[in-house]
Amino acid sequence: MSISTPQAGGNRRPSKAVAGGKPTTGAKAKSDASAESDAPAKTDAPTKTTTTAKSGGKSGTTTAGGGSKARTAPGGRPGTRTGGSGGGRPGGGNRSGGGNRPPVVPVKVNSGRHWGPIILFTIVGLVAAGIVGFGVYEVQKNNQGWQDKADSIKGVVDYRKTEPNLLKAAQHAYGKVNYPQSPPVGGVHNPNWERCQGDVYPDQIPNENAVHALEHGSVWVTYNPSLAKDQVDKLASKVRGNDFMLMSPYPGLDKPISLQAWGFQLKLDSADDPRIDQFIQDLRVNASMETGATCGQDSQNYVTKTGTDPTNLGQSAAPTAAS
Amino acid sequence: MFSGLFATQRRRATAIGALVAVFALLIGFGAGWLTPSLRAPGDNSPEAGFARDMSTHHAQAVTMAMTVYPRATDTEVRQLAYDIALTQQSQIGIMQTWLKDWHLQPTGTRPKMAWMPNGARELTPDGLMPGMATDAQLQELDAAKGKQVDILFCQLMLRHHLGGIHMIDELLQLSHDQDVRDLAQGMKNNQQGEVVQFQTILSRLGAQPLSS
Repeated sequence: MSISTPQAGGNRRPSKAVAGGKPTTGAKAKSDASAESDAPAKTDAPTKTTTTAKSGGKSGTTTAGGGSKARTAPGGRPGTRTGGSGGGRPGGGNRSGGGNRPPVVPVKVNSGRHWGPIILFTIVGLVAAGIVGFGVYEVQKNNQGWQDKADSIKGVVDYRKTEPNLLKAAQHAYGKVNYPQSPPVGGVHNPNWERCQGDVYPDQIPNENAVHALEHGSVWVTYNPSLAKDQVDKLASKVRGNDFMLMSPYPGLDKPISLQAWGFQLKLDSADDPRIDQFIQDLRVNASMETGATCGQDSQNYVTKTGTDPTNLGQSAAPTAAS
Repeated sequence: MFSGLFATQRRRATAIGALVAVFALLIGFGAGWLTPSLRAPGDNSPEAGFARDMSTHHAQAVTMAMTVYPRATDTEVRQLAYDIALTQQSQIGIMQTWLKDWHLQPTGTRPKMAWMPNGARELTPDGLMPGMATDAQLQELDAAKGKQVDILFCQLMLRHHLGGIHMIDELLQLSHDQDVRDLAQGMKNNQQGEVVQFQTILSRLGAQPLSS
């Protein structure tokens, strides 16, 4: 900005702050008196020391202080010297205000542009903007949360959104539990979890133990027992030997295949569907309700039994008997 | 004071200087912001593969150790089991945190061991990583009684460590990431020491290491 003011009455500091000081024009218009009274106090303030609107003397406060037109005084700040009528513009070109100053030769600003530096700065600017822009893009892309990624998989049902209460009810309970989803995706569950260290169970496993495995962050792969063997084998290859994965047939399943993580479900027709890998990538471990909880730990905590009735290892002398 | 011309040039020079400073700051800021993500291991890097696979490998060791800890009859075995469980679970936490810091998922897009050259061929027929116990062996360990618990644990964990050390060696070949290398080297040193310990215990208990 200050570049455009050619006069440069000895002001060697074209700092923006000063130019910004302009608001004074508005202020002074309103309350001359108050502004004046303030003046002495804030000596250094480059701003509103203006005394009288007309005088245009909002110059260096320090020097002349009062209403004198001393704006040309040595200390004069760049933007300020333009007279009172200088309509907000910093360095507004009303040189006319330069009353007692010797007329200044207008300096050529437009002629003979230095294209070299201009091009250079443009390129540098574009490069800088490009770098920052790329950085922003990368960060944005990387920071898309796993939940958003999972939600973007076609066909995924996100029960965390539709049934938030289900997820709060992460209590332990012995006995059978009725789950609203089939297969279940979360809720009250047995104190013992079905081991989920890449376990491929040949038979149905209890919902109540499987849900506990979901709580620890595992992905539970279920399939209708009528699924072809090669399809089952393909599913098993995605599970076996992978921590936080378990798999079991699920009689009565309304689709050939269903994937569960805590609060998420995806039903599919084929083991070749690429969404299976996406589901696992986005939700395995991430969907844990208990960060750091394990899928194994020890055989006093996990179970590996199959069947439909929940397995209780720790239920000693329990009146809260299972059904 | 100065002539108008001189002052203008001065001012312009100052302005240009300010612009340069601003651009330099922008570039520096952008580069500084971007560099960590450029330097962080990528999704298919050996570091990410190691962090993911070693987490799974460790998790089985923790399971075996915690299974044995309350049932071991040999004091040295019980102490070792406790030590292994706590150490390896802690290392799992470190590796999982790396993945988060690198903005990577706990699960990769490639199969396990794909970060190693010929990694797929390292898997057992069951699709397990080197040294890992099979389901049947875990069941056997669960069902074992008395001194058999101590022996079986030493046998399985010795082989487990050897498989782990093999993976660590591959990582040390492939990675230049100092943090990852440091932890891996620490794991190796520690597990090598325990391998010797297992051998000693097994011979004290009158048993042999597993053949494979």
